[in-house]
Amino acid sequence: MASNSSVIRASAPKLENVDELIDSVETFLFDCDGVIWKGDKLIDGVPETLDMLRSKGKRLVFVTNNSTKSRKQYGKKFETLGLSVGEEEIFASSFAAAAYLKSINFPKDKKVYVIGEDGILKELELAGFQYFGGPADGEKKIELKPGFLMEHDENVGAVVVGFDRYFNYYKVQYGTLCIRENPGCLFIATNRDAVTHLTDAQEWAGGGSMVGALCGSTQREPLVVGKPSTFMMDYLANEFGISKSQICMVGDRLDTDILFGQNGGCKTLLVLSGVTTLDMLQSPKNSIQPDFYTNQISDLLPIKAAAV
Amino acid sequence: MASNGVCEAAASCRILCPKSARDLLDSVDVFLFDCDGVIWKGDQLIDGVPAALQVLRSMGKNLAFVTNNSTKSRKQYVDKFLGLGLSISEEEIFSSSFAAAMFLKMNNFPRDKKVYAVGEDGILEEMALAGFTCLGGTKDGGKQIEFKTNFKFEHDENVGAVVVGLDKYINYYKIQYATLCIRENPGCLFIATNCDAVGNLTDLQEWPGAGSMVGAICGSTQSEPIVVGKPSPFLMNFLRERFRIPTSRMCMVGDRLDTDILFGLNAGCKTLLVLSGVTTLPALQDPANNIHPDYYTNTVSDIINSLAI
Repeated sequence: MASNSSVIRASAPKLENVDELIDSVETFLFDCDGVIWKGDKLIDGVPETLDMLRSKGKRLVFVTNNSTKSRKQYGKKFETLGLSVGEEEIFASSFAAAAYLKSINFPKDKKVYVIGEDGILKELELAGFQYFGGPADGEKKIELKPGFLMEHDENVGAVVVGFDRYFNYYKVQYGTLCIRENPGCLFIATNRDAVTHLTDAQEWAGGGSMVGALCGSTQREPLVVGKPSTFMMDYLANEFGISKSQICMVGDRLDTDILFGQNGGCKTLLVLSGVTTLDMLQSPKNSIQPDFYTNQISDLLPIKAAAV
Repeated sequence: MASNGVCEAAASCRILCPKSARDLLDSVDVFLFDCDGVIWKGDQLIDGVPAALQVLRSMGKNLAFVTNNSTKSRKQYVDKFLGLGLSISEEEIFSSSFAAAMFLKMNNFPRDKKVYAVGEDGILEEMALAGFTCLGGTKDGGKQIEFKTNFKFEHDENVGAVVVGLDKYINYYKIQYATLCIRENPGCLFIATNCDAVGNLTDLQEWPGAGSMVGAICGSTQSEPIVVGKPSPFLMNFLRERFRIPTSRMCMVGDRLDTDILFGLNAGCKTLLVLSGVTTLPALQDPANNIHPDYYTNTVSDIINSLAI
């Protein structure tokens, strides 16, 4: 859809010519929450859609900002839902954090403090980094008394923050001390999603809140490895040797998924099966317009009965 | 640091020397003191404070204590002062917990609406005193959530304001509750008692301040709060009302540039930064710093040290 630079960009059109879109790309990147599943429930028509795309020779990659699971754990989730997806096709922001540290040659004698869940710990483990924190620190309480000093490990060279249902004041302080007092300590965020569909019934405060808490206490901005940062896009383009113009990013969130695709120079398709409604897309306050929108990914399947 | 001798004429901020201390005492009728890092650190009084306050009072100066720490109500602050051997009255205390309740009162917050607090007792007490129904607070610190299919986290649709302040019992339950209220209850206010990044909650180190709890809720709601504590000018209305003097005859004494000093500067008060709290001399003199108090000194007691007693 042509957009005149002197007017506000027109709202994205509904996807009509499905075949044209599918034929124009070789790789589909899918967000997970709100696109493939909601909580632990598969969205209608997903298995058939993925099978159809594979049968057309398309590469499928699953790019999720949800850092609570490792790629391996996501593999199991896909399996449980009856989808056959390989670990190497999954890029969670937990993996992105470990991959980022690897890419900058983060020293193996430095440690990582984690404000987040198991997924991050597992990926750091796999990448061979020393780490601590995570869910175990959810039990820790503090008593502020005269003479009490909270110690922190001076060897922490990076604090990685992601969604954390066990979030507490101990973790905020530990992360804050490392970032403020350990020279050169990195502040890395897996993602900054405001809300996320952790259950199918409603939205839940997302990683953006944990990251926001650390921004508030350190007055520093983090390096974000998840969407919309292009780190994961660059990584997988490099890994699979694919050109970004041959990719279509499919997601339910404008400020992460669609922006991610746009920043990466890909085609973008918004689905309305997750957090974004048509009203939100078409609101004058919204400045992020995907190439197309549709209700859910099963709209990519051929229509069974021809419309008259 | 030299305490006698020549005043440094650095840009627009001078070290408090005997002459400038006397000038300050002559030109100021009311001293507004921040508390954390100025009067005390955690539960430890900073040296020389009681004597300094006593001398100021004996000189006929009025005192006020303007604190962003919302964990206590004004009444609870009176008790804290008493516990430290200082006799201060409730009317001399202007806490951000009090500010939050007054903000709602002055804006005619409906009595049939509720408040949800991500914070501690101070906020709950001030809300109750002002006649508002306040949910949340410390007791929600023990609540856990289980993510199960079909589980729905309910929230009260009658919450018309979420008030966020320092909360050492912050947890995911509270973040979620506040998030739902702000995102889903039409017109729900998002109020922050303050946004201090860190503070001297104990004598030995700094601890995350309300800025981190507020940051968490900004992160999940993608909205900015109404801030009632310093540097917002809101509390200055009450100070003007109480003392009925031009703000140029008030001096704000604090340890933080972006709250205490900015609060004083914006209102036209004199400002004195003390280095007994979160701000170091290098931080004050850093070229990146835009906030310049009139004077700076080590501690509160320096104000009166120059007087021959």
